[in-house]
Amino acid sequence: MMMKRRLRNKMMNVNYIASVILVVMGLYTIITKKNLIKVVLGMGIVDYGINLFIVSVGFNDKAGATAPIYNMTELLGQAQATGVTQFFVDPVPQALTLTSIVIGACVDAMALSLVIKLYKQYKTVNTDEIRRLRG
Amino acid sequence: MNFSLIGALQILFKILIFPGLLFVVVIGLFLAGIDRKLVARMQKRVGPPLRQPWFDFLKLLGKETIVPHAANKAVYLAAPVIGFTGLVVMALFIPVFGYSTFSGNGDLIVLLYLLTIPAVALIIGGSASGSPYAGIGISREMVTMMSYELPLIIILLSVARKVGGSALCFSLGQIVNWQASNGCLAFHPALIPAMLAMLLVIPAEVGTQPFDVAEAETEICEGPLIEYSGAPLAVFKLNTAMKMFIMTALFTNLFFGGVSTASLIGAGIPAIALDAVIMVLICIVVTFLSMSLIHAITARFKIEHLFKFYWTVVAGLAALSLVLVWFGL
Amino acid sequence: MSYIHFPVIAVMTLFMGAFLTVVLGRHSKGVRSFIALAASCVSFALIAMLVKPVMIDGEIISYWMGNWAPMSGYAIGIGYEVDQLGLFFALLVVTTILLSAVYSIRYIEKDSSQDFYYVLFLMLSGSVLGLVMTGDVFNMFIMIEIMTFTAVGLTAFRNTSFGAVEAGFKYLVIGSIGSSFTLFGIAVLYGQCHTLNMAQLSAMLYGNHSPATLMAFALMFTGLAVKSYIVPFHTPAADAYTTAPSSISMVFSGMVNKAGVYGMIRLVYIIFRTVDMPSVQTLIVLFGTVTMFIGVTMALAQHDFKRLLAFHSISQIGYVITAAGLCTSLGLSAGLFHAMNHTLFKGLLFLCAGAVLRSTGTTNLDQLGGLSKRMPKTTLCFLVGAFSISGLPPFNGFASKWLVYQAAYEKAVTTGNIFYAFVTVTAVVVSVMTLASFIKVTQAAFFGQLPARLADVEEAPGLMLLPMYIMSLLCVGTGIFYDKVYQYLLDPAVRAAFTVSNYIDRMMGDGYAEAAGVEDVFASNPHFSYWNPVIWLALFVIVFCAAYICVVTSKGSRGQILSDEGGAEDGKYATFFSGEKALPSHVAGSDLFWGFKTDWKGYFRVMEGLHSGIVNDYALYVVAAAAFVVVFTFAFLR
Repeated sequence: MMMKRRLRNKMMNVNYIASVILVVMGLYTIITKKNLIKVVLGMGIVDYGINLFIVSVGFNDKAGATAPIYNMTELLGQAQATGVTQFFVDPVPQALTLTSIVIGACVDAMALSLVIKLYKQYKTVNTDEIRRLRG
Repeated sequence: MNFSLIGALQILFKILIFPGLLFVVVIGLFLAGIDRKLVARMQKRVGPPLRQPWFDFLKLLGKETIVPHAANKAVYLAAPVIGFTGLVVMALFIPVFGYSTFSGNGDLIVLLYLLTIPAVALIIGGSASGSPYAGIGISREMVTMMSYELPLIIILLSVARKVGGSALCFSLGQIVNWQASNGCLAFHPALIPAMLAMLLVIPAEVGTQPFDVAEAETEICEGPLIEYSGAPLAVFKLNTAMKMFIMTALFTNLFFGGVSTASLIGAGIPAIALDAVIMVLICIVVTFLSMSLIHAITARFKIEHLFKFYWTVVAGLAALSLVLVWFGL
Repeated sequence: MSYIHFPVIAVMTLFMGAFLTVVLGRHSKGVRSFIALAASCVSFALIAMLVKPVMIDGEIISYWMGNWAPMSGYAIGIGYEVDQLGLFFALLVVTTILLSAVYSIRYIEKDSSQDFYYVLFLMLSGSVLGLVMTGDVFNMFIMIEIMTFTAVGLTAFRNTSFGAVEAGFKYLVIGSIGSSFTLFGIAVLYGQCHTLNMAQLSAMLYGNHSPATLMAFALMFTGLAVKSYIVPFHTPAADAYTTAPSSISMVFSGMVNKAGVYGMIRLVYIIFRTVDMPSVQTLIVLFGTVTMFIGVTMALAQHDFKRLLAFHSISQIGYVITAAGLCTSLGLSAGLFHAMNHTLFKGLLFLCAGAVLRSTGTTNLDQLGGLSKRMPKTTLCFLVGAFSISGLPPFNGFASKWLVYQAAYEKAVTTGNIFYAFVTVTAVVVSVMTLASFIKVTQAAFFGQLPARLADVEEAPGLMLLPMYIMSLLCVGTGIFYDKVYQYLLDPAVRAAFTVSNYIDRMMGDGYAEAAGVEDVFASNPHFSYWNPVIWLALFVIVFCAAYICVVTSKGSRGQILSDEGGAEDGKYATFFSGEKALPSHVAGSDLFWGFKTDWKGYFRVMEGLHSGIVNDYALYVVAAAAFVVVFTFAFLR
């Protein structure tokens, strides 16, 4: 049981590390890639990294927890029977993640539509050439 | 504030006669006359009589006022009046012989901003006249303003720090009172660089040679004033003279404030009169040092040199003072 | 007690307005203008009605969505909490919305797809209003995201005009990086505290920082700083304000970046209460000072009316941030006052720029000139705005800048830290440079000689002038009656920011703050007076005397153009023209101040290189600044 919990915690750390790596990768993409589409992809990757992070937050110290789908009797019965209240993951982060995913999708859609417009006007997707506003 | 009739009359007296309008105008024109005379003597000329600025002023009042075709008439005519107003209001904030009409916590900063009003009036008036010469003139006037504003604020902050210690002190009245009990700030070594800087700020603020780039007669024909004639021009010339007095009076208050003969000959009318004479004498000396002398021995700056000079030499002097004062000297 | 519903209804009204515009306003111009106006009026009225209970009676309104009140000390539902600080910003928001809605009616009448304009406009308004009144950090993030989307949409609204889509794209990229940082910070915070309610977070975090919460602080601080466009996050703002329709530029500078400022104040004063730490004060003041300086120097280099205003907007936000970062009651009063004044005068200036754009078709300062003859009313409003932003007495900019200087210098002398003395000096110098660049606009656009191309330009219509007049009056009014503004708006807001325990108790139940060990530190109440009624008598008398000298004694005449068509027909003046035609000559904007610019050549070259227009570079600044904030936080915060 202890082994399993420790393993679980290690796996959670992997989640956190992975999410930070994703965010950094995304930011790196935005900073270095000169193609507008790649910049948009970078924004997407940052979002995914953060989403992974939020979902992982819900599993904080809750080894063995499952999805929070219970009815009220199950919920109360279990809590009274075992005295353990942490048998399901925190549902709030999942709600947050859903919202965040929706928002991320909107950002990407909007960014891509702007890229289309930009391509029509500038005939290029190279960021070095899309700089009428400067100085 | 109680608006009784006597109170209102007193206020009107303060505004119109002393230390407001009339007083500032008389002393200002007097200083202008002295300045011209001194410069002339230094250049081995006889120079005009002391009353000459009065004659000039009255002459201009009698001349025709022409509004150029390209000008915006309302702004063009209102500009000198606004500048004049700013100067008179400023005079009400400066303690003359330890006597000021308005005082408050924000005196120094209010003064700093009121000082910009005449310059802005000149700029807006010149701009409204529509002449390209005026356009160049206002650009130079503005750059001059940017130049001296940096040293000026550092000087004011040094004085405020010296007087206030670890409390906020921006009140000119408080600065004068402090000097009355602790000796003039001019004799505190830490503030001597600031005093020198202030002596250099005054001519730029007033616009005398070598800092008169904005009005440079020989290049841009009086710059912002090029189209002005008649009464508006008279008011602008008057503004310059009044600025002379206000700047020298400000200097006197900042560095030689609190000089009082009341302890020697007893308080009363004679003491006030004597203080007044002393203050005017100091103003004359400051006029000589900062305006006449420099005027007589130098030629006009270029605008970019002027800016560099103020932001390096003058601001450096002022900043030296600030640092010295800050660390307790 | 019915007014506790007002905040939510005010936000809902605006979102409903956006919905109704899509449903009903597609084909009728009248209907959609009516919906926009009605929604803004209703929300304005609802927020204005809260002034009495909140500002004057000192009540804090809390509202739990769906009545999900906290259970056993944990906030469950989404809560709205309107304290005096929030209401102060809400008032700015609704005022801006209302005036912009009035202005928009005529301003965008020639544009296509106006229904989308109003949809986006109302959604933007609703989101910002929601942002300043919410008591939930995740709700705040949602509102920030809605704000960013709609702002991007509106930036690119005139998508055929020069650079609009480009500006929108850059805005979106930088804005979404900022939002991502905010969300990341919120997630870290949730992982630590398991709550999203600001009041509860505030109680839990009070004096109780772990490395994780410091990380959250750094991330959220950066994210909100991106939304308030302080340097180095300012680059998309400059582009967006330039290319958006002027009614929207006004909304951007009036409330969108105020939303970021509000977020930062809420973050450092209430949620984390880190502003008591000298290191955080240094950080914020450093950002603010750099912002105001770089903003104003960039503005001096601009040739475009709106871009110049955009950089000034950035610079003025620097003042707000600097003053708020001082963490004294005088400083926060100064910051809030300047924020309010900035909303008024910058809005006014953008509206003037819009009027010029609508009448002449350009905002390029090198092609304008002499408009004061054709557009006298716009010129008057512009001068009021320009004098206000330059801080000339008696306009409102002076009152607030005066407070900023006092606050900064007070901080310098009480802490003995010379850094704050140089902040004061910078603030004054920036103010003079602001004046300089508005002199440039005045000369280049409104005075000087009228080019032949603009000879038959028309004044803006009355419906556009109306908001401009209202804002001009407000600029003068708040400058003169600054003590009333202080008494009824600023003082309650400042008290709210310093009394964290009230905020917590109202939301989480009495005694919650005490149990968490929250102590209020309210510094003394500032006293100030620079201006009293007597001076008005003085001014009146002086103006009268001077005008008397000018008008009564002078014999006036109007100058003539002597040689309009080929040479001087009047022989008297022929000598002066040598028989040549008099050409109109106008000193345009970019030629002014070269004396200053030559001295700063190197600086301007570097700055122009940095504002390269490449979106990768801008993203790099954001990430680098975020890294700086994180490192600073871990190195100096204890």
